[in-house]
Amino acid sequence: MPTISLPPRCDRAAAEALLPEMIAALGTGTLAIDARGCTQIGQVMLQILVAARRTGEGAVINASPVLRETARRLGLEAELFDDTPVMGKGGARA
Amino acid sequence: MNAEEIQAIFFAECEESLAAAEAGLAACKAGTQDSDTVNAVFRGVHSIKGGAGAFGYVALQAYTHTFETLLSDVRDGTVAIGEALIDLLLRALDTLSDHVAAARGLGETPDDAALQAELTAAMAANAGAAPPAPPAAPAASPAAVISDDDEAPELSDFDFAAMLDDITGAIGQNDAAAEPATDATWSVRVRPHADAMRNGSEPLLMMREIIDLGGTCVACDVGQIPPLDAIDPGTGYLGWHFALPADVGEAAVREIFDFVGDECSLAFGDDAAMPPVRLPAPRVAAPAPAQPAAAASASPAAVASDHDDAPRAAAAAPPAPPAMGQSIRIELGKLDKLIDAVGELVIAQAMMAQRLAGDGQAVTEELTMLEGLTRDIQESAMAIRAQPIGSVFSRVPRILRELTASTGKHVRLEVSGESTELDKTVIERLGEPLTHLIRNAVDHGIEPAEARIAAGKPAEGTLTLSAEHKSGRILIRIADDGRGIDRDRVLAKAIEKGLVAPDATLSKEEIDLLIFAPGFSTAQQITNVSGRGVGMDVVRQNVKDLGGRITIESEPGSGTTFTLTLPLTLAISDGMVVNVGDQTLVVPLANVVESLRPDPREVKGLGASRAMINVRGRFIPVLPLYAAVGAIGAVERPEHGVLIVVETEGAGRAALLVDAICDQRQVVIKSLDTHYRSVEGVAGATILGDGRVALIIDVDGLVAQSLAANSLADSGLFEAA
Repeated sequence: MPTISLPPRCDRAAAEALLPEMIAALGTGTLAIDARGCTQIGQVMLQILVAARRTGEGAVINASPVLRETARRLGLEAELFDDTPVMGKGGARA
Repeated sequence: MNAEEIQAIFFAECEESLAAAEAGLAACKAGTQDSDTVNAVFRGVHSIKGGAGAFGYVALQAYTHTFETLLSDVRDGTVAIGEALIDLLLRALDTLSDHVAAARGLGETPDDAALQAELTAAMAANAGAAPPAPPAAPAASPAAVISDDDEAPELSDFDFAAMLDDITGAIGQNDAAAEPATDATWSVRVRPHADAMRNGSEPLLMMREIIDLGGTCVACDVGQIPPLDAIDPGTGYLGWHFALPADVGEAAVREIFDFVGDECSLAFGDDAAMPPVRLPAPRVAAPAPAQPAAAASASPAAVASDHDDAPRAAAAAPPAPPAMGQSIRIELGKLDKLIDAVGELVIAQAMMAQRLAGDGQAVTEELTMLEGLTRDIQESAMAIRAQPIGSVFSRVPRILRELTASTGKHVRLEVSGESTELDKTVIERLGEPLTHLIRNAVDHGIEPAEARIAAGKPAEGTLTLSAEHKSGRILIRIADDGRGIDRDRVLAKAIEKGLVAPDATLSKEEIDLLIFAPGFSTAQQITNVSGRGVGMDVVRQNVKDLGGRITIESEPGSGTTFTLTLPLTLAISDGMVVNVGDQTLVVPLANVVESLRPDPREVKGLGASRAMINVRGRFIPVLPLYAAVGAIGAVERPEHGVLIVVETEGAGRAALLVDAICDQRQVVIKSLDTHYRSVEGVAGATILGDGRVALIIDVDGLVAQSLAANSLADSGLFEAA
């Protein structure tokens, strides 16, 4: 299972740099995205993560609390993470 | 320019401000406690406060506010300056450095409670009655620090960091507000498009603002996202549906998106449909989520590789460094060395040309070639340093948003000429004056909405920023459509402050210029935004330091325009080398319109000692340069010398009287300020081909100064001429 690590700052430049890698990894199984170091994220990366989840065999995102929280507040938690807690259950701190 | 770069500029400015304040306090300690010195300290701290506000560094801003209030008292003489106070100020400055470092992510936010209390106690209104700032804010961590858990504080990028911090940080209160959302809510649907994600813009920041308004995300539309291999990073696929509390108006939401125009589609109302995705032109209609990569046929370049033939090795590659574009980052010092060397090359080339000419070997083919090459190298070197002014303008929306938050005034921004290029040094040093001017325009210029409506203007103010090249200079205009300068009040205030004699009669322009006097402010109330009367003199000083000029045009009731005239570069310019008596001077070619040898009949005397020349039916004042520079043995009658007609900003045309024109060439500008001191009427010095030093005339300053002196001497005659 190929693993792609996200940098701390997932701005547009980072997203554009990583996209070819993710595309290259398609067809090799579920994509593992290591986002534990992610402290900042922008829309470009966010939509790439959604696309990665929805493409081929999907992707498993190992998120930092910050990413998790951002996703939650932007209504994308269920879309991005398999283990989405039921709303309201003890906040969303993973 | 991305957010990180803009922020880097702010921190660079902080360094400068800290250094200036430090130098000022050191001078105070050494015994120089005059108003200029105190002012310099004050300005340093004030500038940091301004930037801190704009970038959302709450702790830093709160701290500088307290610090600045005390300094303001010192400056106004209500707090006596003494050894103990200077020590306190020095300690306060150290803590300020720590605050700046913390904002930068280089340390912890200092615990300044005790110090703030000390500063407050030292204020004129001491014992009790503490000014607003200290207690509330410092407890909160600075906005840029990601306060979240175990995440390493990476935090160099204020925009994203602030966004994340706010999104996570604000969670408690918003959850509380939103979860029991039985109250009436209304809906807005937002879809950012491609351009909202360009140039360091980040749509998520606007989503954050919606959340800050009390909005909760009902749903995020991900249906338009194509498969990974067909995605175009430049397109906005996500759309959000937010529910907002009933007490938040539609205007408040619209305002968040003011600066992106139609780059974010909005749909208001509970039944509104989500605005459609704006796909890049060649694309077919939006692909459904599960649809295979059919649309990829015409997909943009970034996704050209199909997964079948994609190199497998790439999967094993380490996380790619953001290898963007074809550019290279150069340490500025290296570039400056190159520019310096080019400057010396220009001088050396000129010296050689002169020597060869002296030996009777003038104008060889090789020399011409060398000259051309030198010029090419110079231009290329300068081009490396040139940057579009957009990098400065791009800071403006943020400043405006912050101003809207603190003043409640809504301002629309119109920008033109962002791609105008000028020297990096000029760009960097432009930020501070521009920020001050904008804050001033919003705080003092643009009226509150009610007053605007009463005056028959749209409720929303307009701020226009423009930049253009004009005859080798760059013109930057900052125009507001506010109330204009209230000249009566300015004059009254100036008289009250003792800046002008009570019986003085000043022209409109002279009154306008009073706002640049140190310590001048007509604001009734000192706010975080402005009102301490530091901004404008800093602005003028900064612009002057850049070799530029600032002029004001103001129409009561319809607005004020500040025009900054700046040189394109600070290093090399074209000049006309002239002789005046025993001196050799350089007149910048940018100012020269024409030169002529006057017909005695065209020269008319005026008053006791002045002359005008009729140039094709237009009378132009003659200014003898020898008088201005104190040259000895110069031609004194216009008909015996040469007149150089120059165009100035603000003072119109004038004819400079010189003995003779010797040459026209490139000159390398050496600053007088750094080697000697600033001299009125002199823009700098240069080294001529023969090794002598020649002064470069500051035409605008010199003409304005001479004409002002003359018009005061025999006012009225001028119009009669």
